[in-house]
Amino acid sequence: EAPLGLYFSRDAYWERLYVDQPAGTPLLYVHALRDAPGEVPSFRLGQHLYGVYRTRLHENDWIRINETTGLLYLNQSLDHSSWEQLSIRNGGFPLLTIFLQVFLGSTAQREGECHWPGCTRVYFSFINDTFPNCSSFKAQDLCIPETAVSFRVRENRPPGTFYHFHMLPVQFLCPNISVKYSLLEGDSLPFRCDPDCLEVSTRWALDRELREKYVLEALCIVAGPGANKETVTLSFPVTVYDEDDSAPTFSGGVGTASAVVEFKRKEGTVVATLQVFDADVVPASGELVRRYTNTLLSGDSWAQQTFRVEHSPIETLVQVNNNSVRATMHNYKLILNRSLSISESRVLQLEVLVNDSDFQGPGAGGILVLHFNVSVLPVTLNLPRAYSFPVNKRARRYAQIGKICVENCQEFSGVSIQYKLQPSSTNCTALGVVTSPEDTSGTLFVNDTEALRRPECTKLQYTVVATDRQTRRQTQASLVVTVEGTSIAEEVGCPKSCAVNKRRPECEECGGLGSPTGRCEWRQGDGKGITRNFSTCSPSTRTCPDGHCDAVESRDANICPQDCLRADIVGGHERGERQGIKAGYGICNCFPDEKKCFCEPEDSQGPLCDALCRTII
Amino acid sequence: SLASPSSPQGSELHGWRPQVDCVRANELCAAESNCSSRYRTLRQCLAGRDRNTMLANKECQAALEVLQESPLYDCRCKRGMKKELQCLQIYWSIHLGLTEGEEFYEASPYEPVTSRLSDIFRLASIFSGTGADPVVSAKSNHCLDAAKACNLNDNCKKLRSSYISICNREISPTERCNRRKCHKALRQFFDRVPSEYTYRMLFCSCQDQACAERRRQTILPSCSYEDKEKPNCLDLRSLCRTDHLCRSRLADFHANCRASYRTITSCPADNYQACLGSYAGMIGFDMTPNYVDSNPTGIVVSPWCNCRGSGNMEEECEKFLKDFTENPCLRNAIQAFGNGTDVNMSP
Repeated sequence: EAPLGLYFSRDAYWERLYVDQPAGTPLLYVHALRDAPGEVPSFRLGQHLYGVYRTRLHENDWIRINETTGLLYLNQSLDHSSWEQLSIRNGGFPLLTIFLQVFLGSTAQREGECHWPGCTRVYFSFINDTFPNCSSFKAQDLCIPETAVSFRVRENRPPGTFYHFHMLPVQFLCPNISVKYSLLEGDSLPFRCDPDCLEVSTRWALDRELREKYVLEALCIVAGPGANKETVTLSFPVTVYDEDDSAPTFSGGVGTASAVVEFKRKEGTVVATLQVFDADVVPASGELVRRYTNTLLSGDSWAQQTFRVEHSPIETLVQVNNNSVRATMHNYKLILNRSLSISESRVLQLEVLVNDSDFQGPGAGGILVLHFNVSVLPVTLNLPRAYSFPVNKRARRYAQIGKICVENCQEFSGVSIQYKLQPSSTNCTALGVVTSPEDTSGTLFVNDTEALRRPECTKLQYTVVATDRQTRRQTQASLVVTVEGTSIAEEVGCPKSCAVNKRRPECEECGGLGSPTGRCEWRQGDGKGITRNFSTCSPSTRTCPDGHCDAVESRDANICPQDCLRADIVGGHERGERQGIKAGYGICNCFPDEKKCFCEPEDSQGPLCDALCRTII
Repeated sequence: SLASPSSPQGSELHGWRPQVDCVRANELCAAESNCSSRYRTLRQCLAGRDRNTMLANKECQAALEVLQESPLYDCRCKRGMKKELQCLQIYWSIHLGLTEGEEFYEASPYEPVTSRLSDIFRLASIFSGTGADPVVSAKSNHCLDAAKACNLNDNCKKLRSSYISICNREISPTERCNRRKCHKALRQFFDRVPSEYTYRMLFCSCQDQACAERRRQTILPSCSYEDKEKPNCLDLRSLCRTDHLCRSRLADFHANCRASYRTITSCPADNYQACLGSYAGMIGFDMTPNYVDSNPTGIVVSPWCNCRGSGNMEEECEKFLKDFTENPCLRNAIQAFGNGTDVNMSP
């Protein structure tokens, strides 16, 4: 849409049409406001009358417009047969409303494209009756149009007339009824009526950034041929339309942000955020990203590859003279565009050019430069000098012994560390280690129970080596694991997995894969319906079930099926995100070989309830 | 209080001519060489990148004029018909050529609904023995009764458990569910289960919050409705209009639920059934509407969008949103269904 030109003060007008209204009946005024001083409107009607859903009904032979005043009037009376002729063409819809298009200026606009501001639609509701007797009108009908009226005024534009109060057909056909209007608000508002109060104008140019909505109130006084007077109040909203007349500014005056990239080095990490405030609400959401551009200014190809800027605008409200006015806050996030290796080390200044390309003001006012001071620090891998853990001689395979972690490993993201064990004697290699991807730590577990039980292996000595996968950088520490306790024979008749056991006694009598003491542990639930704290038997209540299938547990389905099994769950339950049981009813036990879990109350009598019945009742 | 009707472009729907569906109309057109060649031409005109320039082309104009006289011009589609998508594609291939630029309201490509709510009430009482009368007592939970009634019907139960399990399945901590599959399952439920069942669940009346919360949960909104961010309603509408099905369902909603100041019920032709049907028809698309909270009596429904970021289009955006949130026709229709009342159409 062109920035300059005339525009209509409304995008739609309404009036009633009756059968056999005489030629010459004035219908209504359309009004155009100016974008620049000295512009003169010239109104032109579209060629056709349209029906419902823009069905083209007929050439407009009945209504004319005064091209300078904008007065629409009947050129020819509409009789019954004309109406029937129009109805036939209305695609089967009962004919209730027809419309005409009014264009501004002489520019040859295509008939099909009628959009505000250069075109407006005038709707006529058809009343299948002749014009009513003047005495039958109520004051309401004489003062207020059937459909609510609202106006659009552009900010920073010359003031002008935008509304004509009187309902012209009534005036024309019932000259004996006097209808007078007056504006109700005081002098503070930028609107006025001329002395007879026929028309409303703006007094000066409006500024949306000061106030964007006005509700005008007017009093309508009706005096008929009789003596009694009636008054009706009418109100109509005026919306001030925005243009891009405010330059972007730093929110709170802050245009610089400093940030350190150290442990979080993963692609997508938000390094720093800066906010830009703009009092305008144009361009709107659909156009905004295209019109409000940002460019990372840096000749350095490393910086260009490593960082990107994300722009997310959000509408906010600001208070101006006790009015709430909409404005826009733009958030600019500096984001890592790729994962950085731990050896990467740099200090750099990044500049981001923000351009409000629609800004109308002088010079380069629409341009801002955001500054980001970024330090990328290298990460050195360090392990504590020595680790020592105890292990029970009765521990079963996959029993978890302890965790090892390079310094700050829990804060790492985008860094991949691999832990390895180097045994000092080849005989006693009982342990293994796996890396947990969530916190970059390593978990030590029993891998060979036979070695653990050898009499000569009471002290297991290892060197732990942590390696960064990308840079192959390493660090190491010593690890001593002392084997405690005495070994006993495994019970006969116990299942491989603790989770199979359904009752407390059989649980605590048996051991199972993953138990650090050689015995399973019973977790007594809270018995509150379907709960995360369900009763179950597990190798160690510290690790299982905890709603998370960890790196050790995922090695064998028998260790902790409650967390790891992808299987059918029978009974009241809530499934885990990817696997396992998130919540269960009563006691949950599992058969990993059959890929089935059961959750049921201790003395189960009622029928089992599955996911569906739970959601229903 | 009733909101004032927003537009005068009245479209009280009745008195349609009998129509062929667009799939059939396409067959008729294909059998005739003039029609089929013009139709091919028009489709090429519309497929062009710059549609408007293409349409201004003389050949395109001529094709459009010829087709306006063909059965393709007047054809409509049926909701849930076989080859519904194909039918709608044919419909829009003609009508996108006719409406240059975006219109606020578009004509519905669906045939008008002639059945009434009272038909449903009658059927509902046959189908379910107890609680058939929607106004049994103020105490009972109608939404629970509706769920029970659905579970007693094999088809309803099957399709309901299907959408529930699909929409409830968590993919990962950041992805609540597979929204696309959930929407598809919801569409199947509302397309293939008779409305005696689906409306009772969707429009049950409530006296307390527990009931209203169940009503809100009917479509499993955490998957099918809510999203991380609320888009602007006009942007959402543009998105919906790029999809033939969504566009058609939205147009149908506007045709059947738009508030009218010329009828007692505020609904076009006083037809509640048509309005409720086209509301339910939008579930499972980008414009999926739902109850915004679990307020038992103050019913407000809305799509998942708001008018922030509208710029100078705020009025238009509010007008669009109010057809959901402050629509007397829709509200009256939902309440009438809950109360088991329909407008008595016979004199």
